[in-house]
Amino acid sequence: MHPPPPSVTAIVVAHDGARWLRETLQGVLRQTRPLDRVVGVDNGSRDGCAAILTEAFGAGNVLTLPRSTGFGEAVAAVLDRLPRTGGQEWIWLLHDDCAPHPQALEALLWTAASDEKAAILGPKLRDWLDRRLLLEAGVTVDRSGRRDTGLEAREYDQGQHDGVRQVLSVSTAGMLIRRDVWDLLGGLDAGLPLFRDDLDLCWRATAAGYRVLNVTDAVAWHAEAAARRRRRLTASTDHPRRLDRRNAIFVVMANLPFRSLLWSVVRNTFASLFRTVLLLLAKQPANALDEIVALASVLGSPRRLMAARKARRQGRKEGYPEVVKLFTPRGMAYRRLADMVQSFLSGAGPIDSAGRHHAVIPEASRDDGEELLTDAGLMQRFFGNPGVLLVLALTAVTLAAERSLVYGGVLGGGALVPVVGGASDLWNLYTSGYHAAGLGSGGWAPPYVAVLAVLSTIFLGKTWLAVSVLLLGCVPLAGLSAYVATRSMISQPLARALLAASYALLPVATGAVAAGRLGTAVVFVLLPAYAAFAARVFTAERRRARRAAWALGLLLTVGTAFVPLVYVLVAALGGLAALSFAGVRRGVGVSLGIAMAVPLVLLFPWLAQLAADPGRVLLEAGLHRPSLADPRLAADSLLTLNPGGPGVPPVWATAGLIAAALAALLFRRHQMVVVTGWGVAVFGVLVAIVVSRVPVDGVAAWPGVPLAFAAIGLMVAAAITGHRVVELHRAGGARRAGALLMVLVACATPLAAAGLWINEGVPGPLRRGTPEVVSEFATANSTRGESTLLLRSTRDGRLSFTLVRGRTPLIGETELPVAAAARERLSAVVAGVASGRGGDDALTLAAFGVRFISVPGPVDPVVRRALDSDPALARVSLSATSGLWRMARPLGRAFLLEPDGRRTPVEPVRAGDGALTFAVPAGAVKRTLVLAEPAGAWAAAVGDSALAAVTVDGWAQGFEMPPTGGRVTVAYDTFWHGLWLWAQLGLVVLAAVFASPGARAPEAAEEYAEAPAEADKEEVPV
Amino acid sequence: MKGAGAVKAVVESRFGFLVLVLTALGALFGVATVTRPAVATPVAVTPARVAVESVTTVCPEPGGARVSALTPPGGRGKGLATVAEVGAAPEAGAPAASAPDRPGLLWQREVPAKSAPLEISGTGAMASGLEASQTTRNAGGKVRGLAGVRCAEPGAQAWFIGPGPAAGADVTLHLANADTAQAVLEIVVYSGEGPVVSESGSGLVLKPGEHRVVRLRDLAPSPLVMAVEVRTSSGRVAAAARVVLEKGKGADWLPAAAAPATTVVVPGIPGGGGLRELYVSAPGEADTVVRVKALTADGFYAMKNRETLEVPAGSTASLDLSTGIGGQPSAVVLTSDVPIVAGLTATGTGTRQDIAFTAGAGPIDVGSVVADNRGGKDVSSRLILSAPAAAARVRVQALPRRGAAPPPVDVAIPAARTEEVELDAPGGRGDFGVVVLPLPGSGPVYGGRVLDERTGDGLMLTAQPLGPARTYAVVRPAVESPAAVLP
Repeated sequence: MHPPPPSVTAIVVAHDGARWLRETLQGVLRQTRPLDRVVGVDNGSRDGCAAILTEAFGAGNVLTLPRSTGFGEAVAAVLDRLPRTGGQEWIWLLHDDCAPHPQALEALLWTAASDEKAAILGPKLRDWLDRRLLLEAGVTVDRSGRRDTGLEAREYDQGQHDGVRQVLSVSTAGMLIRRDVWDLLGGLDAGLPLFRDDLDLCWRATAAGYRVLNVTDAVAWHAEAAARRRRRLTASTDHPRRLDRRNAIFVVMANLPFRSLLWSVVRNTFASLFRTVLLLLAKQPANALDEIVALASVLGSPRRLMAARKARRQGRKEGYPEVVKLFTPRGMAYRRLADMVQSFLSGAGPIDSAGRHHAVIPEASRDDGEELLTDAGLMQRFFGNPGVLLVLALTAVTLAAERSLVYGGVLGGGALVPVVGGASDLWNLYTSGYHAAGLGSGGWAPPYVAVLAVLSTIFLGKTWLAVSVLLLGCVPLAGLSAYVATRSMISQPLARALLAASYALLPVATGAVAAGRLGTAVVFVLLPAYAAFAARVFTAERRRARRAAWALGLLLTVGTAFVPLVYVLVAALGGLAALSFAGVRRGVGVSLGIAMAVPLVLLFPWLAQLAADPGRVLLEAGLHRPSLADPRLAADSLLTLNPGGPGVPPVWATAGLIAAALAALLFRRHQMVVVTGWGVAVFGVLVAIVVSRVPVDGVAAWPGVPLAFAAIGLMVAAAITGHRVVELHRAGGARRAGALLMVLVACATPLAAAGLWINEGVPGPLRRGTPEVVSEFATANSTRGESTLLLRSTRDGRLSFTLVRGRTPLIGETELPVAAAARERLSAVVAGVASGRGGDDALTLAAFGVRFISVPGPVDPVVRRALDSDPALARVSLSATSGLWRMARPLGRAFLLEPDGRRTPVEPVRAGDGALTFAVPAGAVKRTLVLAEPAGAWAAAVGDSALAAVTVDGWAQGFEMPPTGGRVTVAYDTFWHGLWLWAQLGLVVLAAVFASPGARAPEAAEEYAEAPAEADKEEVPV
Repeated sequence: MKGAGAVKAVVESRFGFLVLVLTALGALFGVATVTRPAVATPVAVTPARVAVESVTTVCPEPGGARVSALTPPGGRGKGLATVAEVGAAPEAGAPAASAPDRPGLLWQREVPAKSAPLEISGTGAMASGLEASQTTRNAGGKVRGLAGVRCAEPGAQAWFIGPGPAAGADVTLHLANADTAQAVLEIVVYSGEGPVVSESGSGLVLKPGEHRVVRLRDLAPSPLVMAVEVRTSSGRVAAAARVVLEKGKGADWLPAAAAPATTVVVPGIPGGGGLRELYVSAPGEADTVVRVKALTADGFYAMKNRETLEVPAGSTASLDLSTGIGGQPSAVVLTSDVPIVAGLTATGTGTRQDIAFTAGAGPIDVGSVVADNRGGKDVSSRLILSAPAAAARVRVQALPRRGAAPPPVDVAIPAARTEEVELDAPGGRGDFGVVVLPLPGSGPVYGGRVLDERTGDGLMLTAQPLGPARTYAVVRPAVESPAAVLP
């Protein structure tokens, strides 16, 4: 005996959906499996939905409800009034914007008949406008409530997902549900008027042992009008995005068993915070606010959650294993993260919005010819790319030329302080308000330390690796940077590669490597990027230009931190350009202002420090030594971009580039570009002449950076030649010969430079294995921060010395500002000690915290005799390579000065967080506690009473001690320093956010767009 | 209008911009050429000379000797000198007579026998040039003769060179640690056969204030000639070496020799009869042939059959120069490829022999002070000054024990000559100090002082090379520079 055929009741809920409703109703009425009953519900529509419904179903079958009624309530209201038929009864739920295919119901019922446990069935949903576009074929969520359709963005339906599958949830649009199951489960939760109500219902059904099936043979077209904000929402006053997120979290938390719930709370909290940060980075503060408010509103009303959980208690735990199977697989989260990173790299916003309910997926952005990042073809394409080949070739040349530097001991020499320490040391150096290094300094560490610290952190804390890559790898990096930067200028990849190679192998680069000039190396890599970003500021569309300005500002900050002169160069040219462009293009002035202001603001405290010694503007990161620059640099060297000093090729090596740039002047096309390029070049050379002719501290500066700047100008000029050569070649005859000659000349420059470089190698002074200046003995005995005086005789009969505290100074520590008084006093004392005149010079030296005197070999016999004859010093060791003496009575970092001149060392009982604590015994009346640090913003207190600060010996910080003694806490005032650091961090993040490509929220533009459906096509966001 | 026309012409002509750019480049070339600095002559640093502020000397065995101390006049400000036995507590509120108190006046004291080494130190004005020496005179007995030595400054290294135990010389090292830190030292003996490896070990620790006498016969019984190096691995030591020849053949102190160098001048070789024997040691790792030249009043000359001396690595060799020098006051100039240490023995004439030593010394650029000189009947003090490189002029100032100093005497030494200068005691007799100061423009001067006394049974004599005065120290400018961390 056959069971009686099931009866099906269709319920169409309409709300301001007149423009879709007609088609929907047609779909309902034309079903091949006729409906037994149809009911229309109108939730207070104002656009005539009621009339349309009445027209289609008849007045008796239409129910009118208030405007604020939710979908679930509307269905429940219908079912309350609808008598039961007695047999198996199905309810078919339809939205007003969801038109079913005529055979949809038939397919659904056919599937329902074949599976007894199937209680909820849903059709495959396609897009209303683009009818092939797949929207849903069953939906699931992950544990943090992220909706997952399992579909790619904008995936077309070609039957690839077909088949009947058990899923966690189907949409209420087109949902076919058994009436008894509906009644058993209590229907849709009235607390979820919109979004995720379907998930909640299906979850409960699955947990209760029923099956939720997606039937792909049944098709419906859905406009997703509410989610896409094509109609006003009245069921809830919240923004749909926030509502969606809140409901997502709520549903997951309400349906999870208790143990999973705890984990979910933690997980959702962190996930939401993370997403909030990402959204802020993506410049979507509204989304970020929604995200965090949604979480807060779920966690903020625990009573509601408790009530919901109580209602779902039955069978929740038992049915959970069934539900778990249907969740998004765990690996998905990592795939999403990878996708996100990839899309960010290709210029999209850092966050994907696919996790949101019915999010609008923007058209894939058309990336204009970024060969390095397009992934088609993979290996072959990768190695066939001229840019990659260029970098590989330059790397090979670099390795061959730097054969003596590739591996070995500590890298150092020339301008580069031997690279020791790790990322944490550098962070510490940059962030501490008082630097216990050398003589001691309360100034700002040079900001390039922060840049190196960031890089070292990326290189797993290995500073040596970061410095090696930056300095030794500056040639391939500069080649890459020049290749990428000229993308918009030169269309031919080969010409680009040739030009980039010419730039990367300039004498400036080889000279910078040989002399260990880290600053020049970094700026050399950055300069092409400056040119590219500056070009974009002037030529790109306004939003892109503004973004480029922020990026230029940030990169300029990095360059300025290493070489302050680069800011002057860029600012001078930027000013000129602003004058000539400001009238032509709107916003250029503001963009340039941003680019110029960012370095000033970010580097402010350090720049103010620099302004006190303006000559340093001509210098760069690292040591300034006479042997590193040619004090009489010849005019022809300057004009051929040859900065002199160690490691530069002969003058003629760059002739090819200059010849190509000169030849470009003969072409009529793009003449202004060529002339502009030459203008930059002439300006750069002029600045180079000034730099090489103005000695700083009596020592000539190195004109590397201005010459690299000039080279950028020449590159721009020569780039035009590349275009024309091809045309000339085609022309034939004498022109063809000329073109060939030009190609030869152009090729000659990088080839000659590479050949010369490989042949010469890197002569130094940069080298591997610089000797340790502080012996292990001294290091082991300087655990309390005692200093070692490093004393060297120079060739011209002077003595040069420096103070180090137990170890080789970190990169950047040698450029800390030092109080002049302390430095002069120490110079006099050291001269006295090294002269051997006796007296109390050595005792005074002890007051500087000196414990050891180290004299690197060969030890000057005069100095040796002097140190040997001083009774306050004792020799520790003497060999051909070094001599070490120690103080017979070191004073440590602090001592008590009695009124009669006696000095007693005071050991700190505790040192931490920048504060020192000393236990001072009771004693005479006028005693002074003296620190071996220059007088500055120090403060000391015994208990609550502050001690009066005095300056001892013209330089040292002292405090008047009360005769009672006690525990003295000494600290350096770093309040403003700390404040500025936070401000800097904030500003960097802000600038990075403004500079990064951001996904603009598309909804904002088309909110409440009441345009006809056809016009929507043009509203695809960019 | 005209300007606008020119601009137009430049823009329209194919070569206009090229000419423009080439002109600009030419201008840059001109600017760069004109501003190119001239070849900078390296500016010679003129080091400052400052007065020495503190001097400490230790007289090794003052018992039975006359200790003389002298600070030349000229020191500014206040100063203080102290005299104390090494190891004794500093004499608080010591009577003023017991220590030198005024610059420019010779201070002397007869020290009772069995006295510990004396530490004489000065600070401030009393330090600038403080010089002390001890002289013993014995008319008979085992140690007959004049024996004098400069009181030694504590240091990390000291060299002595002279006869060894196998030649009948009993050599004792007098070591004192006057500092507050302990001294760990090592004694290395270079004999004629090479470095002597002592079985008992040659390390020694001197506590602060400790002094000790080491018989070298115990360390190295066999050398005929030897060089002794005292070096500390930590702390400082004041070292002196005394030689007593067997059978009363004389006794004297070995002067501290200059540290190993490739050119060594042994100045102050007394004229007259007697043995003159040269000792040369090459403490390094390589054998060497030392070229020997004498510098006398007649100039340089190579002595026949004594032009060179072969010295094996790590050993000491000797060469008899008695006939070569021919009784003239002279100096010996030695050159070698490897660093060497040199010294010389001179003996007096007469039935009973006395002995004296001199050794390699540096030039007296900042002057020299000799504290103990004697004048009178049969007693004479002489300076033997040599100028091996260039003509030199020195000013010699005698300083008496009391009263006004006589006017100074200027002495000119022609280039490559040696001059002997007889020192006249102020007032005809008595003890006096001498300050030798090279005059500006003078070439390098090496010198020695000889003190002798004619007695019935033979000439008693002692000699010492002139050491640099501790008046001034050369202060080189010191510059704070972080570049010092790199070679």
